[in-house]
Amino acid sequence: MKKLFALLLAAVMVLGLVACGPAGNDQTEPPKSTGNQTQAPPKGSEPPQTNAPEGKKYEGVTLNYWSMWNAAEAQGKVIAEAAAAFEEETGAHINIEWKGRDINTLLSAALESQEDIDLFDEDYTRIGQVYAPYTADLTEMAAAANYDAVSYSVFNNQSIAWAGYLNSITEQPNIGGVFYDRDAFEAAGITADPTTWAEFLDACQKLKDNGVAPLVQDSAYTNFSFYYQLTRHIGEEGIADLRENGGWADNAGAVAAAQEIIDLVKAGYFADGTPSEFPSGENKIGLDEAAMVICADYVCAEVDGNTESQTNWGVFNVPAVEGGVSTAAYMGTNSLAITNYSENQQAAFDFCLFLVTGEWGQKLADEAHQIPADPNNTCSSLPGAVETLLAADAPMSWCGELNTHPAWQAMRDEMTRLFAGAYETGADFCAAIDALY
Amino acid sequence: MRKNKILIACFVAPVVITLALMYVYPVVRTVLMSFFRVESLTAPTETWSFYGLQNYFTILHNSSFKTSMVNMMLIWLVGGVITLALSMIMAVILTSGIRGKKFFRAAIYLPNIISAVALATMWRQYVFNYDYGLLNDMLKLIGLDKFQWMGSDTKFWSMLAAFIFGSVGYYMLIYISGIEGIPQDLYEAATLDGAGKVRQFFSITMPLLKGILKTSITFWSINTTTFFLWTKMFSPVNTEGSTIVPVVYLYDTVFGGKGVVHRDAGAGAAVGVVLTIIIVAVYTITNVLIKDNDLEY
Repeated sequence: MKKLFALLLAAVMVLGLVACGPAGNDQTEPPKSTGNQTQAPPKGSEPPQTNAPEGKKYEGVTLNYWSMWNAAEAQGKVIAEAAAAFEEETGAHINIEWKGRDINTLLSAALESQEDIDLFDEDYTRIGQVYAPYTADLTEMAAAANYDAVSYSVFNNQSIAWAGYLNSITEQPNIGGVFYDRDAFEAAGITADPTTWAEFLDACQKLKDNGVAPLVQDSAYTNFSFYYQLTRHIGEEGIADLRENGGWADNAGAVAAAQEIIDLVKAGYFADGTPSEFPSGENKIGLDEAAMVICADYVCAEVDGNTESQTNWGVFNVPAVEGGVSTAAYMGTNSLAITNYSENQQAAFDFCLFLVTGEWGQKLADEAHQIPADPNNTCSSLPGAVETLLAADAPMSWCGELNTHPAWQAMRDEMTRLFAGAYETGADFCAAIDALY
Repeated sequence: MRKNKILIACFVAPVVITLALMYVYPVVRTVLMSFFRVESLTAPTETWSFYGLQNYFTILHNSSFKTSMVNMMLIWLVGGVITLALSMIMAVILTSGIRGKKFFRAAIYLPNIISAVALATMWRQYVFNYDYGLLNDMLKLIGLDKFQWMGSDTKFWSMLAAFIFGSVGYYMLIYISGIEGIPQDLYEAATLDGAGKVRQFFSITMPLLKGILKTSITFWSINTTTFFLWTKMFSPVNTEGSTIVPVVYLYDTVFGGKGVVHRDAGAGAAVGVVLTIIIVAVYTITNVLIKDNDLEY
């Protein structure tokens, strides 16, 4: 009986293995994607190389692309379509691996071990500073393609400043500033964007009088917002000095910056519950309960998506303050880079330009509600953003002069408390920051 | 016998080799790395430079690391006491013969089968939210002002409450299995002797659950030291001081963060070593303090 049972079990196991095994050899379709790896849609049932008509520029070339996006999001969909179109045009097959936002935890190891990657995308600060030893010098290819005419010098210059050469292609530019609902401004009778702190306070009062909360701020971005204000008074160089040497309470600019935030709180210019839990604060703009938020431009797509609204967005630079030293704006970008060990650098470069400029660059901007990487394209989501980027020469960092401080996390909490109205005076806040040194 | 030894070696070798490659090697490499200055986690060893104990001094003088340790200790102590006490109380109630035992057991365990990401999102957006959260709606209903549950001063406790909610069911099941292993005749004898339910709990259930308690404390300690996801979910854009824990500090140190390009794999390795020492210490102390071999049943 036991033997019979064992035989039956063995038979079941063998059947199971056969059933779960690979299909027969007559399968002609290329392997389908598994896990987070997908391939650009192949043409017909033939492998891409054999299907490409003769005479195509990169026939037989396969490019391995590690993407920071996911296949299901707008950027991922456009990239997959662009990859298919590029293959159709040039014969080069783009093998895309969707790594998502945690790509930064994978890239260093992959690049160090020279994994089979031709191109990848990531925050350009890390491409310029962390991955630079593994990225190709794009200077000559860029010159040959007249890349300067289809890109922003502010990012190209920064890439060269960090890496010593152009090592990234702008894919998704971001700008920081005060993002606002144009309709709310119009209803409150505000006809021009505020450029000074006095004008900003005046706009806040008009909005409040019109029954709309002038400002919202989620706790996730209070540090960024305060950093902006601090930059206005003492610039990033001054902040770097504070980072190293402390002395916040003795710094008139730091005290004034904190006091201005406290004044906004005391005047009742922030929406009830500020600082809110991300993203419920910024969502209030989409729900017509508030008018302005200090953040980067992706806030527009977030709010519209979260609240299913079509906010009439506008943006202006964080206003200058009296006696201030800076009017710089935050600018950053997610960019594409090509590995210096790739055997198909020119093909990869051509794909990068194919994706971020012209028709596909416009589609990427439209579908993902982002600023176009090619300034010749139109920014439908945020009028004026392209002009702002073109006019800039040096970007402000994302809290770059403070976020490596050992007490940065505790400082961030104090900044959130500042927006919550926990401090009576700017001096009190600065003393609390000094206590963290 | 000789053949047997070869056979044993053949069976054991795959496990030993796998264990050495997948466990011993990373552990040894991490410990070594903690004494070197290493920027990238996978940097070749020839690029490492000896740093002595400097990585340990660096993290021990870092206020974010100290905050993360304090947060972890609070989760372990406050969260541990509440979770284990609640679990035991619920286990005792559910094994006392109440009606609907299976339903309550399933209901209390339910949070464990829901993705922690979904659970944390639910707590953040639907329970603690200032504008439309359940708690503030209840406060409003009884005429009280709304409360900022997710402020810098309160976020940690909100996160801990949500984490406890998700953990109680797991430990309750462990206790239930322990209680059901206690012979019923002990309780019957105690009842005949006139002992009430409370006396039975402290004189029979508690002493006979020492082994289970020891296991629970060890599990809780491991859960606490590897606490990561809840912090990430309660600080979705970037790490915040109010919710930071050592593993998140380690992660940020090794991989950088939003706008942060600085990386220090050596310091990250030192954090890992410190956490391992803490787990071993807790396990050892628990073993010394809680003896479970003095009772037999």
